[in-house]
Amino acid sequence: MKTIGHDAKPAANRKHWQWLFPASVIVVYVSIYFVAPDRTINALMASGNVLKQMALPLLLAFVMMVVLNLFITPAHVSRFLGSRAGIKGVLLSSVAGILSMGPVYAWLPFLAAIREKGASDFHLANFLASRAVKPVLLPLMIGYFGWRFSLIFTVLNMVGALLVASAVIYVCDGQRKSS
Amino acid sequence: MKIAIPATAPDLGASVETRLGAAPYLLVIDIEDLSFEAVAGPPPSTGPGAGIAAISIVTGMGAKAILVGFISPHIALTLEKNGIEVITPVGGSVMDAVIKYRQGALPGMAGDSQQPDVKLASHTGPQLQAAFRKAARQFFSIIPVLAGVILLVGLFRGFVSQGLLLTIFSGNVIQDTLWGACIGSVLSGNPVNSYVVGETLLKMGVSLFGAAALMLSWVNVGLLQLPAEISALGTRFAVSRTIAAFLMAIVVSILTVILTGGRV
Repeated sequence: MKTIGHDAKPAANRKHWQWLFPASVIVVYVSIYFVAPDRTINALMASGNVLKQMALPLLLAFVMMVVLNLFITPAHVSRFLGSRAGIKGVLLSSVAGILSMGPVYAWLPFLAAIREKGASDFHLANFLASRAVKPVLLPLMIGYFGWRFSLIFTVLNMVGALLVASAVIYVCDGQRKSS
Repeated sequence: MKIAIPATAPDLGASVETRLGAAPYLLVIDIEDLSFEAVAGPPPSTGPGAGIAAISIVTGMGAKAILVGFISPHIALTLEKNGIEVITPVGGSVMDAVIKYRQGALPGMAGDSQQPDVKLASHTGPQLQAAFRKAARQFFSIIPVLAGVILLVGLFRGFVSQGLLLTIFSGNVIQDTLWGACIGSVLSGNPVNSYVVGETLLKMGVSLFGAAALMLSWVNVGLLQLPAEISALGTRFAVSRTIAAFLMAIVVSILTVILTGGRV
């Protein structure tokens, strides 16, 4: 879906802005290399490690986007993750967020794609906020902090995810109504 | 072919608005694949010209038919003279209206205007190659900013050590909670790492409030990824989500510690 409002930017400006950011970071790298070459190389290696960590989730997100474009129509997304999807949409976005793996930025292209097909901001925000809950890591968390803390932490995090999603939809919808 | 429907919300599950000029959103839907664009309707300050403004918007976006609850007959006549089909009265959900339009089942539609069935079944979607190309286009549109974020994360990890960050905790509950949330917001990453850092904090004597706030904001906030999130989902979404997640991390960490009695 394309929403045209006051926030809309011409495509050319948007493309330029996108390249400006990585270019600025590269300039910072080059500048600090002359001051601290060893640490700059360490930073580059750390970036390489981040890239390695997110390679699999990125690939997974790309495959899901192809599948999405191949099989899922905007009507499906609108029905299951649209603003009228109800409790089904909440459950689906929560479960999807919980099951998603890897850094969140690996999932951003996928989220942008399903939003284009009609997913509501509430469910996108709920997906992102639900990512903190990881059932497979729960035993580890219990090992570190005990079951009582882990259980309360997890349950409150799920409730918090819905509150974050509600706040986002309040702000984004308010902007659309006023534009 | 594209059709325009005034709607209560920017999705196909929304209800059809009675009047074009009063609609919060105008949807222009391609009835071949059900892709659509949603634009905000004319603002209330437009006054009596809102309906004409709405028509101008949707015809400018290529709509060849308008489905609406009511439209003034003389405007409908003018539109039809200019090749724009007008269907009234239309109610219910936008999706139902589109399907009925395709079936020629809306009021005033002749049976011979029936369109082929809507492609809802999965196997009738776009071909694999087209799907792949579209996914690649969507994916690579975010790559520049994503590359910048990865480099920024590396820069942060290369120059700011965890030990340095841990020294800022003072033992004050409120300050520790805030610092925990701030550090977690910047560091971010895999939840497992937050458990390790959280436990390290506790062993160093930092309150459970600080450790819990760090663990919550670690996965939920993500300041370094904000440029990528803005690029993918828009400034308003990304900024409001980040602020809400930061506040949530503070509130939930405090509640968690209170409910556990401050012990782990």
